Amino acid sequence: MATSRSSTELLEQIEKLSGQTVSDCYQCGCCTSGCPIGEAMDPPPSKAVRLLQLGEAPELLDSDGIWMCASCLVCGTRCPRAVDYARIAEACRVLVLRSKQSRVDPDTVTGPELEEIPQQAFIAAFRKSSV
Amino acid sequence: MPNDECRLTGTQPPADAQSTIDNRQSKIPRVGVFVCHCGINIAGVVKIPELLERVGTMSGVVVTKDYKYCCSDPGQQMIRDSIKSDKLDRVIVACCSPTLHETTFRNACGEAGLNPYLCEIANIREQCAWVTADKDEATTKACGIVRTTLTKVVHDQPLEALTVPINKRALVVGAGIAGIQAALDIANAGYEVVLVEKEPSIGGHMAQLSETFPTLDCSQCILTPRTVETGRHPKIRLMTYSEIDSVSGYVGNFKVKVRQKARYVDFKTCTGCGACLEKCPGRTESWFERGLVRGKAIYRLLPQAVPNRPVIDAKACIYLTKGKCGVCAKVCPTGAIRYDDTDKFVEEEVGAIVLATGYELFDATKLGSYGVGRVPDVIDGLAFERLLSASGPTSGDVKRPSDGKVPKKIVFVQCAGSRDSTTGMPYCSKICCMYTAKQAILYRHRVHDGQATICYIDVRTPGKGFEEFYKRATDDGIQYLRGKVSKIFREGDKVMVWASDTLAGRKVELEADMVVLATAVVANPDGVALARKLKTQIDAHGFMTEAHPKLRPVETLTAGFFLAGCGQGPKDIPETVAQASAAAAKVLAMFGNTRLTHSPTTAEVDEEICVGCGYCERTCAYDAVKVDPARKKAAVNAALCEGCGACAVACPSGAMTHKNFTKKAIFEMADQF
Amino acid sequence: MTKYTYYPGCTLYTKARNLDICARKAAEKVGFELVEMPSWNCCGAIYNAASDDLAAQVGPVRNLAKASQLGDKLVTLCAACHNVLKRVQNRLDQPGNEVESERLKTFVDEKYERPVKVLHYLEVLKQEIGWDNIKEKVTKPLGGLKVASYYGCLIVRPKEVLEFDDPENPQVMDDLMRVLGAAPTRFDFKAECCGGYLVVNRRDVAKSASKKILDNAKAWGAEAIVTTCPLCQYNLDKLRAVTDGSIPVFYFTQLLGLAVGLAQDELGLEHNAGDPVGFLKSKGLL
Ligand SMILES: Cc1cc2nc3c(=O)[nH]c(=O)nc-3n(C[C@H](O)[C@H](O)[C@H](O)COP(=O)(O)OP(=O)(O)OC[C@H]3O[C@@H](n4cnc5c(N)ncnc54)[C@H](O)[C@@H]3O)c2cc1C
Ligand code: SF4
Ligand code: SF4
Ligand code: SF4
Ligand code: SF4
Ligand code: SF4
Ligand code: SF4
Repeated sequence: MATSRSSTELLEQIEKLSGQTVSDCYQCGCCTSGCPIGEAMDPPPSKAVRLLQLGEAPELLDSDGIWMCASCLVCGTRCPRAVDYARIAEACRVLVLRSKQSRVDPDTVTGPELEEIPQQAFIAAFRKSSV
Repeated sequence: MPNDECRLTGTQPPADAQSTIDNRQSKIPRVGVFVCHCGINIAGVVKIPELLERVGTMSGVVVTKDYKYCCSDPGQQMIRDSIKSDKLDRVIVACCSPTLHETTFRNACGEAGLNPYLCEIANIREQCAWVTADKDEATTKACGIVRTTLTKVVHDQPLEALTVPINKRALVVGAGIAGIQAALDIANAGYEVVLVEKEPSIGGHMAQLSETFPTLDCSQCILTPRTVETGRHPKIRLMTYSEIDSVSGYVGNFKVKVRQKARYVDFKTCTGCGACLEKCPGRTESWFERGLVRGKAIYRLLPQAVPNRPVIDAKACIYLTKGKCGVCAKVCPTGAIRYDDTDKFVEEEVGAIVLATGYELFDATKLGSYGVGRVPDVIDGLAFERLLSASGPTSGDVKRPSDGKVPKKIVFVQCAGSRDSTTGMPYCSKICCMYTAKQAILYRHRVHDGQATICYIDVRTPGKGFEEFYKRATDDGIQYLRGKVSKIFREGDKVMVWASDTLAGRKVELEADMVVLATAVVANPDGVALARKLKTQIDAHGFMTEAHPKLRPVETLTAGFFLAGCGQGPKDIPETVAQASAAAAKVLAMFGNTRLTHSPTTAEVDEEICVGCGYCERTCAYDAVKVDPARKKAAVNAALCEGCGACAVACPSGAMTHKNFTKKAIFEMADQF
Repeated sequence: MTKYTYYPGCTLYTKARNLDICARKAAEKVGFELVEMPSWNCCGAIYNAASDDLAAQVGPVRNLAKASQLGDKLVTLCAACHNVLKRVQNRLDQPGNEVESERLKTFVDEKYERPVKVLHYLEVLKQEIGWDNIKEKVTKPLGGLKVASYYGCLIVRPKEVLEFDDPENPQVMDDLMRVLGAAPTRFDFKAECCGGYLVVNRRDVAKSASKKILDNAKAWGAEAIVTTCPLCQYNLDKLRAVTDGSIPVFYFTQLLGLAVGLAQDELGLEHNAGDPVGFLKSKGLL
């Protein structure tokens, strides 16, 4: 587990870091419908927010989904309740990273294609997912 | 708190809570204060015995009494008896808000021979007991409220209620099913009705619908008898293609100026044969057909139109824009075409006005990610009604707009714009869950192998037979998918829908031939403009506001204006008709009187002081003050004055005052706090 | 010739030379000059959204402070840099955010002299130069080439801050393409995400996101795609080589350069995947 804090504390922290209120969400699912990564993201955004509403913050912090968000901001732009899930995912990642756990170890990312990838991608990826 | 008697004294309340304290000798003024417990609403918080004791010491108070429910018969009797036995000349009832029982207690006083306007309410429930937790604090506050009211009541003058005559004719604006129903009810009771409709024919949106939930009866079949009756009714003066230019006057006596738009067809000569419609080469957008086909310059909305006369759309007519054509005039067998027609103004006098201006659908092109306008086979609910309707452009065959193919898969998208705080429509449009189920069922009637999928957030079916209707849809194999659609786009000749299945917790991509959006219901913009012009209240979304959401649902706060139909909020036909009949009943109740009473607590001008500056005239929202330019003096039309007091505040010279709210009384009341 | 302070960013110095060089040269053709900011530093490549993460904003704040000493406008080209700089500038200058703004300013030695308007190159073309003036400079119109303009996420969202264009159906680049003589196609994926930096460790995800964009452009009949971000360009152009190679992807500056008469060797086409030269020749544009 990312931290030893209680789920209530975690939720408070997530709301503070993200500036979002999870009770605003009425579970319409629009964020999941529009997420370009939606099929590959587990849990997808609406389910992630649901976990928080149910007090299951630790489960979300342990999940794969928060690392899959590309911060494209589509979900927040179309959310009928103006919930910005990208910032919630960011807050979750930050909480994990601050407990000194990297998601992606830069040394393990290898392969011939990497030569071609613009460096902004590396900087972004490692800033989002490494300590 | 300036007065000692209202400080907490720490004295024990008298043992007998029903006690009567009469500690004053006969002295003018003689005020009686009656404290109501309102069950435990007040007595549970305010310490009644202590309050009575403290109020009893206030100067001018000759008697204080309390009772469990002052508004009950015995409660009122207690007040009436006390007025007589204690020779009261002023009464204060410390109870609930004056909006609830001011009239009750004023009438009780009147019955006991006291001028009703010498009775005042001290609101110690809503403004004290309900909002104060601490009992001592509440008691002190109640004491303060009574004392302030006492300051006012001693200044009050006896007043006589005003009465005005009633012109027993009604104006109904908007001839959708709401306006039609209200007009028929009033007319059938024997009163004249002026029915004004901006479109060339009546029926409103109901005329566009195919079949109606939950019984699936054909909309035209149930509507036409009403439109025909309206068109023929001897008591209904129908003015179509007309708008309200202005309204002046006051409840019971309105003067209305109606602008009858140029039609370019003489309705008296025209027989409605339709020869002109066949040949006209002028083309325009047809709002009635929701852009599915192009309309003609000379047109009527539908074959069963009432009145069954065409009008010319001047912007689309080739003759009127370019001076060429004139085909309609050539083919018209009766010579009814009048290219030189102009707008005409008609004046009408009425006593009551029903606003039934209805709704429109939100402009779906503003829902950028839904592709409306970019993807031709994404249409709104009313357009789909036209495709389903036997009198529609496809005679009821479901064909998609882009290529006329019969769609084998339709995705219906609910809550398109509704329940969305970012579009400015956070409300539920109320009818779309039901009409979407209906449209899916009707689609499957027309296209037996068609697949219908409905993307929804919640399915709301709170109406008679509605839940059963929803079951009918699912029984028919219609797929309900829980998740709001995010994006609609085109790929080849398919329409793709990005949805989700929140129950299964995953994103879903749907492929369809056509998409139907249940777009949000919004107040008709022309209705909103009219409400603004008439200064009747509208809410943040443009829907007209009722005088009380529960108890006065078909009246407005402006006397003489009533509401019916979707202009007040989204609703289905049964509810619209019920509301329209209710509004008609209110009008008829008013017409049952010979004169109307009007509160006498109006503004009045002291002509000696008035300098004719006109601040009052500009301030008054009801046009009740006019400055006579010759005499340079303001005058208040008491029948129009709603007693808001704005003019008295605006008047720089102090000439304008408000009966029983004099500046002196108000300043003294303020001093009490 | 109006001069603008210009922030190229790291990627434009290396993998995205073709975006940068054309932009500078085309600017001179249409009547303005990009003056590169001296000693700029990396913008951070991605905006850090955690509310307490002020330290992460040091890089952009420093760039903005330096730019403020040179003028009141800063021109960007890479959509990622634009997004970061614009959002941080918003935090510095937004009324009501003064306390945080003061803290952010204390992080850097350079003084933030005045509010800096962060302008994307496309905004300069539209707002400062004007379509009519650009039209006059077009010497080789693009002959009705059917292009799908791909904006991606970063220059349109969040819309309240970027204030760039309609986030669902942006038009600026389409308008530019029209001015250059191309025929912009309708296109439903103008601002859908290409998968962004996920390409680093989840190539599969970026590939499938990019494929949808390419598929939709083709479905609308596009012959080419234009982009404004090196990462979008990579995901659509280089990554598509392994998904589907039938549609060339250019930086919008390359087509701008072509239309205003830059020579072939100034267009940096050798950095694009596939055979862009062959394609442009087949369209009679080279
Ligand atoms: C797609 C769809 C399907 C529906 N299906 C069903 C169904 O199956 N069953 C059901 O019960 N309900 C259904 N409804 C709801 C139904 O349409 C409404 O309940 C009903 O039409 C409301 O009638 P109305 O008179 O209040 O408003 P409207 O029909 O909007 O009538 C208002 C009239 O006022 C006129 N007007 C507006 N402003 C002015 C002005 N300033 N001056 C003069 N005239 C003015 C308008 O031109 C119009 O004729 C459906 C609605 C939609 C959108
Ligand atoms: S779109 Fe917004 S309201 Fe809907 S499920 Fe996602 S976060 Fe909740
Ligand atoms: S911001 Fe993240 S969660 Fe939201 S749509 Fe984009 S990738 Fe999906
Ligand atoms: S004169 Fe106008 S309305 Fe008459 S047929 Fe010609 S276009 Fe139609
Ligand atoms: S042809 Fe003449 S009479 Fe017949 S509908 Fe037209 S205007 Fe009326
Ligand atoms: S009635 Fe149904 S579809 Fe319409 S807004 Fe309400 S929940 Fe949405
Ligand atoms: S009290 Fe109000 S309504 Fe009466 S005249 Fe004055 S401003 Fe008009």
